Amino acid sequence: MTQPDNVTVGAAVKTVALVSSGRHPVSGRAGRAREDARAVEMGLSLSGGTLTLLHAGDADDAALPEYLGMYHGLSAGAGPGRLDLLPMAPDGDALPALAARLRQSDARLVLTGQRAECGEGSGMLPYLLAETLGWSIATGIAAIEQCDGDHVTVLQALPQGQRRRLEVALPCLLAVDGVAPAPRQSAFGPARRGITDSVATAAPAADPGWAAWQWQPARARPKRLKVVKSTNARDRFKAAAAKSAASGGQVLTDLAPDEAADRLLAYLRSEKVLAPVSDAEGADQ
Amino acid sequence: MLQTLLPILIFAALAVGAVGAARRIRLWRRGQRSPMGWHRLVRMPKRYLNDLHHIVARDKAMAHTHVATAGGFVAAMALALVVHGFGWRNPILGGLLLLASLGMFVGALAVNRRRLDPPAKLSKGPWQRLSKSLLAYSVGMFLVSLPLVGVAPTTLGGGALALVLTLLVAWGLLEMIVGMGWGGPMKHAFAGSLHLAFHRRPERFDDQHGEPQSKIPHDVHRGSRSTALFPLDLAAPKLGVEKPSDFQWEQLLGFDACVQCGRCQAVCPAYAAGQPLNPKKLIQDMVVGMVGGSDARYAGSAYPGIEVGKHRGAPAEPIVPQLVEAETLWACTTCRACVEECPMMIEHVDAIVDMRRFVTLERGETPEKGAAAIDNLIATDNPGGLDNASRLDWAADLDIPRIQDRPEGVDVLLWLGDGAFDMRNQRTLRSLVKILRAGGVDFAVLGDEERDSGDVARRLGDEATFQRLAERNIATLSRYRFQRIVTADPHSFHVLGREYGAFGGHYTVRHHSTFIAELFDAGRLHVKAAEQRETVTYHDPCYLGRYNGEFAAPRQVLAALGVEFAEMERSGYRSRCCGGGGGAALSDVPGKARIPDMRMEDVRETGASTVAVACPQCTAMLEGVVEPRPQIKDLAEMVAEALIEPASDTASPTATADTREEIPA
Amino acid sequence: MSVRRVDPHAERIRRNRLHPRHHEFARPAWRWTSAAGVTRINPHAVGAIGPNGVKRIDRSGASVEASSAGGAQTSTEPARRPITLDAPSGYLMVVPELAEGRLSDHDRDLLGLARQLAADTDLAVTAVTFQREVAGLEDAGADRRLELADLVDADAYDPESRLAALVTVERELAPLHWIFADDFPGGGDLGRRLGARLAAGDSGDTRARPATRVWQVVDGQTRSRAGDRQDIQRDVPKILIALAECAEPISETRHEARPITLASAASTTAPAPEARSEAGSAGVVDRGRVAVDPQQIPLAQAPFILSAGRGIGDWDGYHHAARVLGASEGASRVAVDDGYMPRARQVGATGTFVTASCYIAVGISGAVQHLQGITKCQRVIAINSDPSCDMVKRADLAIIGDGDAVLAAVCERLGQPRAAQGEPREVQHDAA
Repeated sequence: MTQPDNVTVGAAVKTVALVSSGRHPVSGRAGRAREDARAVEMGLSLSGGTLTLLHAGDADDAALPEYLGMYHGLSAGAGPGRLDLLPMAPDGDALPALAARLRQSDARLVLTGQRAECGEGSGMLPYLLAETLGWSIATGIAAIEQCDGDHVTVLQALPQGQRRRLEVALPCLLAVDGVAPAPRQSAFGPARRGITDSVATAAPAADPGWAAWQWQPARARPKRLKVVKSTNARDRFKAAAAKSAASGGQVLTDLAPDEAADRLLAYLRSEKVLAPVSDAEGADQ
Repeated sequence: MLQTLLPILIFAALAVGAVGAARRIRLWRRGQRSPMGWHRLVRMPKRYLNDLHHIVARDKAMAHTHVATAGGFVAAMALALVVHGFGWRNPILGGLLLLASLGMFVGALAVNRRRLDPPAKLSKGPWQRLSKSLLAYSVGMFLVSLPLVGVAPTTLGGGALALVLTLLVAWGLLEMIVGMGWGGPMKHAFAGSLHLAFHRRPERFDDQHGEPQSKIPHDVHRGSRSTALFPLDLAAPKLGVEKPSDFQWEQLLGFDACVQCGRCQAVCPAYAAGQPLNPKKLIQDMVVGMVGGSDARYAGSAYPGIEVGKHRGAPAEPIVPQLVEAETLWACTTCRACVEECPMMIEHVDAIVDMRRFVTLERGETPEKGAAAIDNLIATDNPGGLDNASRLDWAADLDIPRIQDRPEGVDVLLWLGDGAFDMRNQRTLRSLVKILRAGGVDFAVLGDEERDSGDVARRLGDEATFQRLAERNIATLSRYRFQRIVTADPHSFHVLGREYGAFGGHYTVRHHSTFIAELFDAGRLHVKAAEQRETVTYHDPCYLGRYNGEFAAPRQVLAALGVEFAEMERSGYRSRCCGGGGGAALSDVPGKARIPDMRMEDVRETGASTVAVACPQCTAMLEGVVEPRPQIKDLAEMVAEALIEPASDTASPTATADTREEIPA
Repeated sequence: MSVRRVDPHAERIRRNRLHPRHHEFARPAWRWTSAAGVTRINPHAVGAIGPNGVKRIDRSGASVEASSAGGAQTSTEPARRPITLDAPSGYLMVVPELAEGRLSDHDRDLLGLARQLAADTDLAVTAVTFQREVAGLEDAGADRRLELADLVDADAYDPESRLAALVTVERELAPLHWIFADDFPGGGDLGRRLGARLAAGDSGDTRARPATRVWQVVDGQTRSRAGDRQDIQRDVPKILIALAECAEPISETRHEARPITLASAASTTAPAPEARSEAGSAGVVDRGRVAVDPQQIPLAQAPFILSAGRGIGDWDGYHHAARVLGASEGASRVAVDDGYMPRARQVGATGTFVTASCYIAVGISGAVQHLQGITKCQRVIAINSDPSCDMVKRADLAIIGDGDAVLAAVCERLGQPRAAQGEPREVQHDAA
């Protein structure tokens, strides 16, 4: 929304984007994950072609070329996209491998989505990584405002379109929110040219937690019914059948526009929609 | 003096012209090479006299003018070479030379009259000068040749008059011969004739058709039948056209053949709507890119809203956006009206799609909604991002047979297209099913195994997604047995019938209008006369008409319905696009007017109360025109309404086509 | 539910119509509450004899409504049963979001979930708050309350010191479960931080691995959503990060919400806020809210919307008013169809579903689709010339009058009248 332009760090701060395999909400086909793609977008506009992607999982995942296909529209001379792949079985634990890889590389800024779209999708991974590496972490990132060698200034998304400015010390992990600027199109040519480096890791252990869990297809969540606890049938019936519209609002008729404006402003102030009394208002009265 | 000067002039002009021509050829050869055979040159004269002339002859006056001028010039030049160049001063040849220059003079006069107040579509600048040069050459050549037949004293060659005549002839030779090689207006003759010989789509010419002996009169639409886009090699180092030198050399040659007559500009729907596209300017920009330099010397109409002179190009420089803005490419509806109209048979749409391919596949800069549609196609096999399993939801009550249940095969495979997700088009499909049932047709559908044909992806330049969809569809189709495919969507019709062949899918495909016409011919459909006679006009979909030459069947169906038929001024191969083709509805380039509004104005001019359509895209675009307007009905709907169903079929679900869902306000 | 006491003596007299004191007990009650607590109505005793001698029964409920204004309030909402817990066997921590310092529905659901987990045990459901004196914890189901306001600054976003405070709580009280709201950047963030910290402490303990996006707890197992298409069912872990509507909020009991304090917090004096922010500068530092242009906020998220419909004649004045009020612009379908507003600004079922906390509808009569689009708005204000339209019925505050004039007056009151353009505006009024 308010992505500042011209914020770039180039290669000064080594940036890595963690990407996962997404699932299309309708077809369930593998592709870019919505939040991870935004993290890559943020990384590309910050670091250009020096951004490296990191993925732990299946080398043949259809999502990986799609991320590499985002390496376009960068400064002249930017090479093809690079992705470090840590081969791993679907039930493997990505954490040790990722942590080891990040420790090895000189990455200082890691961008990722808040939650994966397949697998456990708990959104714990960035936190566990940050804890393991001893890095700072911030979540719900909507934009990067500034990045120097020590700190990165970001905007965090709050409910109702509001933003909060945070200063996060490097090295850090930033979990990017779905309201961040939309990712650029994934193009076939750059995807084809992208380079995937398979990084050999110690055979990742199977995730310890998973064995005890039962996996089920997602069930529709029960819709909450409005239960009226009342001892008498008439009230229960009335509550069930009543039109919710008739909430007994206040109706003001026959007001001059000025009076109406006063009443309206008074209401807005009492509900704290507007700041209590502005200076101009004070001068007016 | 003249006797000595003229041969020097002629041979000097020829020599300088030849040097220029050689340089021009080098420019073309900067394009991508493809195997070429010099023997194709022999085809040129016939292609010029037959195929090209038939297109030029759509404007009779212009055709006659061109015959006189060009014919006169060619003859006069050849004779002058013999008479004046080699000095064979035969009175008979001299007389012929006089006749030829006279003919050329008459033609040049007509050209000059047209140039007095040139129509907006014509380019000015050097082209205005050309008309004068033609006069100069013909007058000069006539006068210097007079002594040959003894009309004037042979001593004419002395004094000031001789000098004036020499200058006239020199001017003419400079323009006609030197200019031909060095990029003057006359280069169209040189490049154009080679372009005819080496055209990338030889199928457009009569000599490539095996049945010249068939007694069909020359079919003006035949030229359009080679309409499938060329497949792109996805393993190539660069995908699509980034720089002018990325075009095939035949394409560069083709651009150079442009005569800037502006016929393409006159028919282009995007240009008329004030969108930043002018096919003529686009071709000229390609020439600028090929030669290198700025577009400031272009003397015709600009792209609406984009100033001339601000863009530059070079053979090894990217085209977008230095030379052509991306908006210009995305404004094209790929309706092929320009290609159909071009007397030099230039392939504008191929060039635009080639450039779009680079923008989409390499730069990832498809317009926003187009990119979303492509993403959806990749993820869900339909551009709307809908669950492909819901493709048959509209037909839940129709009990349509699935081809999966018919291993023994069916006669007709009904290809639904993406209109199956659209509530408006579902009415058309229901009508079509009703017609097929009434006609006793043995048909089935693929159901959720059907995918988008890939038309939109391909026109938006995403050849990768198109080829993926094509391969999957072909693999699906290869598992089932059917005689032919019928579809109500001309885009699917075109892609399945013409473009899947390159990927190994060869099918007999019928558009539903053709199929319904066949059913009428076979007497398998019976309709009642309309209760009140209304006037109906018909809008030719580009992908049915210009792309596939089907103009007759829809009119035949309307005739069978017995409606009062009124033809629009722009119909048949000159039909105006609805604005929905080639992904233009997705790229949605702003202009001054909307293309469907202009088309609806065409409809209103006929006084028709209903416009019959035969394409889901046209239906959607025309229905987007604000009321009040003539109503829009698909041919299938009109037939289904008038249908007298066989008595035995009453048990079948006869849900009337107009169980119209209430669209929320 | 209050316990009804039956006087058998009085009952006997009431049944015996020949009893000399029968009239004292058998009041002509047409409506009473039976022993089972169900309201009973004697149809013979209902109604009154009208002037024509015909018995009239008022079934509109109006008279009952009127009479029950004071007393019946308690009858619809039965009295809650007070629950006290003096010696808890352990703790069950709930960290409510407390947006704007109030318990939200989501928070009540979390406490409901905690009560569900604490059922039939002596575990104390404890609300851990960073604010002081949060209202309503008793009715929401908290046995204890633990205020950490001394350890952290309630107004600043300082996840690291909050985490440190929670770790202190964990060390000291060793709660059986922690429950957070799965909302970014609130409880979802804090809960995951705690999970990561605890998991790092005792590696290999899978119970420390939080269950996120929990939407149900049944039979001692949590159901949590994984990705979009799968659920995980597992034993209830230590940390639950739960979605809204994960459990029913409690309604029948009332808990004491007795304050507890941390021993360590009492002994060590809380560091001064300045010192805290110094310490926190290592990680994430809050640099305050950012002013956001209301027109840039996606309509679905905008907190304050000034929406215009057919009743607007002076569109420049409307845009000016939206600027002055700092409201995002919305529109009815008609306004969009007429070309006054872009399609992206349309509110309603066919446009955008909005979630504004304050929604002002000017000149919008309130078509069904439009009202569907604003069901999640907390406060609706209607300015309309037609007092009978549906929007006025829906509104919490309705002003009957000309929208253009009221907006102009509002701008004037706020000290930013629109540059005088009297003439054209008057003309527009006439046209409208």
